[in-house]
Amino acid sequence: MLGFLRPARGSQLEDLKALSLFADLSVRELKIVQGVLHERDYLAGEVIFDEGEQGNALYIVRTGRVLICRKGRPDSPIAELGAGSFFGDLALLDSAPRAAQARALEACKLAVFFGSDFLSLLETEARLANKILLQLSRHLGQRLRGATMLGQHAEQHL
Amino acid sequence: MSGPRSLEPAANRPGPVAWAGIFAATCLLLVALNHILWLVIPALMALVLSYMLEPPMRRLMYAGVGREGAAAIVTSVFLLVLMAATLALLAWAGARAEDWQAGVERYLRGGAALLERTLAALEARWSMLARADLAASVTTWLNEYSDTFLKRQVQPLAVSILAWLPAALLGPFFAFFFLRDGRRFHGFIARAVPNAYFEKTLALLHEMHQTGRSYFTGLVKLTVVDTLALGIGLWALGLPGPWLLGLIAAVFAWVPYVGSIAGCVLVVLVAATDFPHDPAIAYWAIMLFILVRLLDDFVFMPATVGKNLRLHPLVSVLMLFVGGAVAGVPGLALVLPLLGVTMVVGAALSEILTDGRLRARHAYARRLREAEDAADLA
Repeated sequence: MLGFLRPARGSQLEDLKALSLFADLSVRELKIVQGVLHERDYLAGEVIFDEGEQGNALYIVRTGRVLICRKGRPDSPIAELGAGSFFGDLALLDSAPRAAQARALEACKLAVFFGSDFLSLLETEARLANKILLQLSRHLGQRLRGATMLGQHAEQHL
Repeated sequence: MSGPRSLEPAANRPGPVAWAGIFAATCLLLVALNHILWLVIPALMALVLSYMLEPPMRRLMYAGVGREGAAAIVTSVFLLVLMAATLALLAWAGARAEDWQAGVERYLRGGAALLERTLAALEARWSMLARADLAASVTTWLNEYSDTFLKRQVQPLAVSILAWLPAALLGPFFAFFFLRDGRRFHGFIARAVPNAYFEKTLALLHEMHQTGRSYFTGLVKLTVVDTLALGIGLWALGLPGPWLLGLIAAVFAWVPYVGSIAGCVLVVLVAATDFPHDPAIAYWAIMLFILVRLLDDFVFMPATVGKNLRLHPLVSVLMLFVGGAVAGVPGLALVLPLLGVTMVVGAALSEILTDGRLRARHAYARRLREAEDAADLA
């Protein structure tokens, strides 16, 4: 009955370590992050979040696949993400509306990292949070470079 | 005080129906809590204590100690410090036990003498007051009141403090479990919420946590700042025991308005008794209290408790009257933080329940689950 009193399993630390976002974290730091994550199960077709909805959390795909698309246009996806990837990362930085819809392509298990928990970490465990922040900046930089290159290719093609 | 940013968007404000629900819920909660004060007080103490002990616990966790061990260490250290302080206080108070009753009576007489002198001076200036025989009637009433004060007020207060002591000891016990299992309980609640409402509910829990934390930790900081400000002022006026008087007055101020007046009366009594021939000291003490009250409202409070509750001053005052009427002194102390929390819950619930898209997503997810459960039945 009081299942919530049982300690969280530590076997998922390796999966967390494999994520680029948490690649620099020590085992102790990973345990702290693991402690603030929420596990959720989604069925195939279930909406995880909507385009335009206020963003509060980053999602990590533990198992299954997730589709990122425009609202109401799942047939023309922006991206398909598998286990070990994450999405909704901008919610760690601000609560701006989501830029796209996320939908489970198949039954999947997600870990959810709330922006408020990240901000609390920034206050209490600044070194840990800064490591995540650095990785997040690198990830966003890569995406920006990718988008720029895509734009250049499109211009050349035209 | 810079805290994590609020995740509540500015546009989401409750309407009149939600506000009516928020006020009704606050009043009902006050009535309910007033009946279980023996549990509410230690739980609140534990909450404040857990907010205070959380940073050192996190430091220990960061140094490699497990959550359970870190919670046990910080709670044990706190209990040891508390026991040492209590023993020292008992030893100090026990040595002066005989002086207490005489002291209280002496200070009451000193206050009465100051009031009598002030009224006599007013009567000398305004004949209308003299004709009403104000000084004599007030003095007669005050003498009758102070004669029975110890029996009617102080003794029952001492007995009720002794009766509350076992309940107060529950505080550190609760705090240990709040620290150890708080996050797991948070996760347990989150798991019970359907996927469609999950993000908004977690944002609501965070907002509630932040509201409670900023109010109570701010209150503790405000007490320290008030003690320092009053202590310095009373020390400059030459009053005996300025820091203890400042601390008592600052703790009294936890009960809005009424507490500040009670603290001021206490200091004026001391000033009037210890400086019977210099009433200016008592008047300066009143001025000091007004100054600290203004500093509280415009400088200290925004910097400590903050404007996180975002209450309109008129609403605050009205709710204080309601709190006092519904649940007495505990109601006065509890009504504002309680209103702050019900405001957050009411605003979030009205937003979640009126969001058609979220309801549609939840209904769709339920249909998907039903279809999955029935897949092998066809």
